[in-house]
Amino acid sequence: MAELLRTAGLSKRFRGLIANDAIDFTLQSGEVRCVIGPNGAGKTTFISMISGHQTPSAGRIFFRGRDVTGSSVTARAQMGIARKFQTPSVFDRLSLHANLELASLGKRSTAAERQTRITEVLDITRLAPFRHLPASVLSHGQRQWLEVGMLLANRAELLLLDEPTAGMTAEETHATALLIRRLADAHHLSVIIIEHDIAFIRDLKAPVTVLHLGRVLMSDSFDAVAENEQVRSVYLGQG
Amino acid sequence: MTRSIVARPGAANAGLLRSETAVAVVVFFALALLPGVASGYVVYIVPQYLLYGMLAMSLALLWGFGGILSFGQAAFFALGAYAMGLAQHWDMAVNPAYVALLISIAVGGALAGVVGYFLFSAGVRDVYFVLVTLALSIMTEQITISQSDITGGYNGMFIPRMSLTFGDASLDLSDDVPMYYTILPLTIGIYALLRWVLASRFGKVLIGIRENEDRVLSLGFRTPLYKTAAFAISGAIAGLAGALYGTHASFVSPSLAGVLFSTQVVVWVAIGGRESLLGSLLGAVGVAALSNYLTAITPEYWQLVLGIVFVLVIMAFRGGVAGALGGLTAPRRPETESG
Repeated sequence: MAELLRTAGLSKRFRGLIANDAIDFTLQSGEVRCVIGPNGAGKTTFISMISGHQTPSAGRIFFRGRDVTGSSVTARAQMGIARKFQTPSVFDRLSLHANLELASLGKRSTAAERQTRITEVLDITRLAPFRHLPASVLSHGQRQWLEVGMLLANRAELLLLDEPTAGMTAEETHATALLIRRLADAHHLSVIIIEHDIAFIRDLKAPVTVLHLGRVLMSDSFDAVAENEQVRSVYLGQG
Repeated sequence: MTRSIVARPGAANAGLLRSETAVAVVVFFALALLPGVASGYVVYIVPQYLLYGMLAMSLALLWGFGGILSFGQAAFFALGAYAMGLAQHWDMAVNPAYVALLISIAVGGALAGVVGYFLFSAGVRDVYFVLVTLALSIMTEQITISQSDITGGYNGMFIPRMSLTFGDASLDLSDDVPMYYTILPLTIGIYALLRWVLASRFGKVLIGIRENEDRVLSLGFRTPLYKTAAFAISGAIAGLAGALYGTHASFVSPSLAGVLFSTQVVVWVAIGGRESLLGSLLGAVGVAALSNYLTAITPEYWQLVLGIVFVLVIMAFRGGVAGALGGLTAPRRPETESG
């Protein structure tokens, strides 16, 4: 596996507050990684800097070995870094097909290629029966999947998912874990997921990076992280 | 599916656009036959309403499909009319009116493009953009007043009716029927052009910007450029409509650039339905005709009556008349077959 993303000494200060403190992070191509940590650990700040929505105070970001620290959100999206926002961000009044079509227009392609891609995405996300309906009629969970689908239609290579299962039912959460697993295994996408839901993280069977007070506490398998004393104490509020 | 699904105005633009085409064909066909059954004042005044409609469509593109409200459409319209007036005094080998039409398109497009580029690139949005466009109208009005050597100031400027020339042949548009059959095809042409623009990749991205600009930006589209282009197209069409208006009305004065007229354009589009080009066109024609009628029967209260109509329409249908009609045709249930 080749290195897809690397951050070196990535830091973000908001006035006096240190949100991210010299984070060194590496993601291989095709890897799924969960980023966890208590509230205020700096998780959203971290992926906001990778997507370009926040500018780092220090440190560099490399995507496919290329320094993208100074690139705009748009330029990074063009390179294949796509972000799913914490609350569903779709085009509510447009049909699902129109949502996906718009996303697919982001990269150069023929109409036939786009159509194939849209059909494929509708199948992967199990949203095909709704394709002519406005996105506003979907359930919360389905809207989250639609947004993930839009990133696929946009031919993203690195998905940044900020709490994709927030507000989902247990069934939807499980289905989301399976969806992300499929994306990585069958479609070779790389994914960074911020999550709180322990059942979901277990379902994903992915390595976990724990952030605490803006620093990387540890990076290991789910089981190793779950058994770690330090991680437990951080989550119990003693850290 | 047991979930109840509430239809919202313009819930599916595709559905609205499909049914719109049939209505548009009927409307344009009826308009083409109108001079055969009507004469005199009707044939004189309808082209003016159509030009208002063209102006309304320029705003519908921007506001209804791009989500960008402008109170500056009158500025481009007035600049087009003045360009037409000034061109008549030029001595040139080609038809000066043709040059004036091209200049009005270029001036409207360039002014909107430059203003839009700086504002949108700087992230100016929503009400702040509206305020700048409002200022644009006021500035244009003031400049046309103060530059009275060129514009005639408050007295306005008389503009002769243009002629159509084809090589050596020439058709004078002083009569209302040839004028009618010049303006109607141009209006239909602008309608068709805008429909094509909206169906293109550009149009789809523009609608996405209206719905959720941050999402579009995060998908890799440089949204300030799309918004700038939409404003430039809108300004160019408003300029063209203004130039034709100038030669049709044979007169232009500073009030044409003013805030009052700019507001009227917004009212036409809001009543007709900003998410429908045809709705906006017919909104302008209908409201302008109604104003005209009301001025005749109740010169004191016509603005009051019109204001009440505006409030009622917006209270009843937020998407205007076209939005209310379009909501009836939107699909509401998932398909039963899967895949």
